[in-house]
Amino acid sequence: MPSLKDIKTQINSVVSTKKITTAMKMVAASKLRRSQEKAVAARPYSSRLEEMLSSLASSAASGEGIIKLLTGTGNDQNYIVVPVSADRGLCGGFNSSINRETFKLVKSLEKDGKNVQLMPVGKKSRDFFNRVMKDQIVESFIDLNVSNTGYESALNVSNKLQDLYFNGKFDKCILVFNKFISAISQDVTQQQLIPLDVSESSTEDKEDSNDAKTIYDYEPDEETILKDLLPKNVSIQIFKVLLESDAGEHGARMAAMDNATRNAGEMIDGLTLKYNRTRQAFITKELIEIISGAESI
Amino acid sequence: MATISFDLVSPENLIFNDEVGMIIVPGKDGDFGVLPGHSKVMSSLRPGRVMVYGEDKNLLKSFFVSGGFAEVNPEKCIVLAESVDEIHSLEKSAIEKEIQDLESQDTENAKEQLFIVKAKLESLSTSFYEKI
Repeated sequence: MPSLKDIKTQINSVVSTKKITTAMKMVAASKLRRSQEKAVAARPYSSRLEEMLSSLASSAASGEGIIKLLTGTGNDQNYIVVPVSADRGLCGGFNSSINRETFKLVKSLEKDGKNVQLMPVGKKSRDFFNRVMKDQIVESFIDLNVSNTGYESALNVSNKLQDLYFNGKFDKCILVFNKFISAISQDVTQQQLIPLDVSESSTEDKEDSNDAKTIYDYEPDEETILKDLLPKNVSIQIFKVLLESDAGEHGARMAAMDNATRNAGEMIDGLTLKYNRTRQAFITKELIEIISGAESI
Repeated sequence: MATISFDLVSPENLIFNDEVGMIIVPGKDGDFGVLPGHSKVMSSLRPGRVMVYGEDKNLLKSFFVSGGFAEVNPEKCIVLAESVDEIHSLEKSAIEKEIQDLESQDTENAKEQLFIVKAKLESLSTSFYEKI
């Protein structure tokens, strides 16, 4: 039977853990609010860009150079997979679900005979793939800190990707990231970044873009605009994904810390009960000893 | 008088959104003015000034954009810019320092940046279109 002192120490340690998790929850909640605002603020730009792009996309003939971002290289042998995780842990299944999903994706692509490279973003996925698939990592990005540095950080990733693409290092790029749905739920999503997948965005506003296409004047001309637009779109998509993942991370951490706080509370209750019982047992035992001692005289 | 709705958007936020009388946009092939009822145009932009005017053609605001796109239709004008600074908030000394820094570098990226920053300096000193 544990002594009273042992239980007391245990209670104290759980109490201080609870304090930490409560504080982390508060911090995550305020960070979540901020990064959510950022994600919302970035929305008008990316949706406008998508609209422009979908009305222009049809005018792209198969071409060389930048247009390849849209039309593809004509191959699908070499893949690059970009898992986007957080830099820090203690946020529930947030990072491990990204890693698991990416791992599955890579394995299934390899089964189909494709070459797969990896470009992890965030410490947690970099560390994971450093352990399991070290030789497939071409580049990794950590400490992007998107909510402070903003668009710049997305540009770094995007420039590196386009560099690799135009040097013929890969044919298709797939992002794996946590899509922010609400503060308590994130959804692991795969998105094909290169070549650009316009089909989904153009279906919903097909009617708009159809009549828009015929009437617009283009200055200087469609192709030049498209050439400017495509690289920007890659960057902005990455920016959006980074922001969503950032918001998701804080959401996940908040939920995880909320659970941890609740668990700690339950544990404290249980331990306190045990402490009181044990103390009572000691008192009773001592009383019995005194009484039986007195009787025997 | 008629107005046209004008959005100035950067990747990080929506900078300007209001009904205005006229906008002058630095198109790739030259500046163009947008009045209510303008025909549909899509244009890419060069680094330069975006000038916003009220209904009676008084200058409301002027911004520096480092490039981007403009989409115009009769009711609405949308400018998507990579980076936006309000002209008032620019400081000549800071820009000159930036130019010096960039001139000492010799990369492709620095040259592009230099082009933008030089345009920024130029837009600070020009006073075209300030009164119409």
